[in-house]
Amino acid sequence: MIGWLRHQKHALTSALRRLARQPVSTLLTALAMGVAISLPSGLYLGLDNLSRLAGELPAQPEISVFLDPAASGADKQAIATRLKRPDIAQARFVPKDDALAALSVSQDLADISAGLAENPLPDAWVVQPRTRSREALARVADELGKLPGVAETHLDSQWAERLQAALTIGHTGVWLLAGLFAIALVAISGNAIRAQVLARRDEIQVSRLIGATDRYIRRPFLYLGALQGLLGGLAAGGVLAAAGTLLRPQVERLAGLYGSAFHLAPPSTSEIAVVLGLTTLFGWLGAWLSVTRTLHQVEATR
Amino acid sequence: MISFSQVTKRYPGGHEALNSVTLVIEQGELVFLTGHSGAGKSTLLKLIAAIERPTSGVVSVSGQNISRLSRRAVPYLRRNIGLVFQDHKLLFDRSVIENVVLPLDIAGFDRREALKRARAVIDKVGLLNREKANPVSLSGGEQQRLCIARALVSRPALLLADEPTGNLDAGYAADIMAMFRDFHQVGTTLVIATHDDRALNALGGRILHLDHGKVGEVTA
Ligand SMILES: Nc1ncnc2c1ncn2[C@@H]1O[C@H](COP(=O)(O)OP(=O)(O)OP(=O)(O)O)[C@@H](O)[C@H]1O
Ligand SMILES: [Mg+2]
Repeated sequence: MIGWLRHQKHALTSALRRLARQPVSTLLTALAMGVAISLPSGLYLGLDNLSRLAGELPAQPEISVFLDPAASGADKQAIATRLKRPDIAQARFVPKDDALAALSVSQDLADISAGLAENPLPDAWVVQPRTRSREALARVADELGKLPGVAETHLDSQWAERLQAALTIGHTGVWLLAGLFAIALVAISGNAIRAQVLARRDEIQVSRLIGATDRYIRRPFLYLGALQGLLGGLAAGGVLAAAGTLLRPQVERLAGLYGSAFHLAPPSTSEIAVVLGLTTLFGWLGAWLSVTRTLHQVEATR
Repeated sequence: MISFSQVTKRYPGGHEALNSVTLVIEQGELVFLTGHSGAGKSTLLKLIAAIERPTSGVVSVSGQNISRLSRRAVPYLRRNIGLVFQDHKLLFDRSVIENVVLPLDIAGFDRREALKRARAVIDKVGLLNREKANPVSLSGGEQQRLCIARALVSRPALLLADEPTGNLDAGYAADIMAMFRDFHQVGTTLVIATHDDRALNALGGRILHLDHGKVGEVTA
């Protein structure tokens, strides 16, 4: 156990020393990784902010409440009372005659409506709830729909649904990109580690001759890969921070023009931790694949 | 401790370096391997350390059949063997002391203890004032002594030395041989390939003579 810890510490310090000894190539690799990682994470952040923005849009969602033609006066009274409750910002009653008149004017259907023996439209309420959130709107619409005397409700939330659909595609895209760039990360790390293994060919061969196990030989390279991945993650953080600083004033100006106090939100601590953890993991993975492959080659050219 | 039974080693390309060698080396013995250049001395030592595998026959070391030794077991066999290589195999990317510490690092020694031991053995081979130097800056003889120090630092039960005094002047050669004798006296098994008659005469011991891959015993 103590021997194992000593080996870990030894491998870690040797990996750190190696990184420090080649600052330029370390930096370049970290930068290549950083750029690769910043694309999916940047997109993720963008979508995150867009979702927030969608929640804050100053649109006026409306619920149309169509009454049953057979509704009793008491039912109608109860509905009107319900619509005075504080979760409703505004409610406008549209008698069926007004509705027909409006329809005739707007759709140029005067001839047809004149020919109708009876008005086919129901009485209706146009309701603006106080909430803007999609779920809450749906809940209110549902509740109103269950009131006696209400035939049907219609939630005018097309814009929200469309945006939601677009965001869903965006999120799938983020995961696809993240998968692709994880592969790129593994490749970058593997390549860097392969160069390291070849550069240390002599050391590996001599170590083997004096009793080093595969694990002993592999370990510093795995640490090297993991550290390189971590540096790549930090570099991505740098790239995104720079992009954020550049974009923030412009976005806030644009939001200001629309009278919104919207601002770009930075990633949360746990999101940063997850990204750094993943880049470390993928750096390690690339190193593992590469070391395993390259050691066989080094072995063959003894 | 070491036994060869009908061992033949043919290198890729067909050259037969050892031909049906049978021999036994007991624990604690001091054995010299002599013979012309190309006789197969290095090959014999490499077979003992599982650096090469026999083409036919059985090599056994401490009761383990080398041909059947798994890849995972080889490192542990080698940790009990001190190897002095004919071509030294030093690492030129690190200092003298780091070269000597390497076997102890591999075996998982505490760093401070390892450095202490390394310094003691470097002192023994007369390189203490070059401890921090890069091996590139050492003379041929100094590199050889460094290689010996690295082989001895882990106090192996078996020492295989390939031409350990080849590049040394008489004085250092005698010192190194005296060190080997000390190790022999505390029970280490030594197999030394050499054509250095001074060494043979100084230490006595058993002599195995190789001639074109065939072994013969010489009684001094
Ligand atoms: N890796 C190899 N591949 C092919 N042939 C080899 C290899 N190693 C050694 N040989 C051949 O095997 C024979 C024995 O070599 P070995 O190195 O054992 O000789 P030696 O007795 O140590 O010689 P020297 O005194 O010059 O060191 C030589 O003819 C050599 O050319
Ligand atoms: Mg030789």
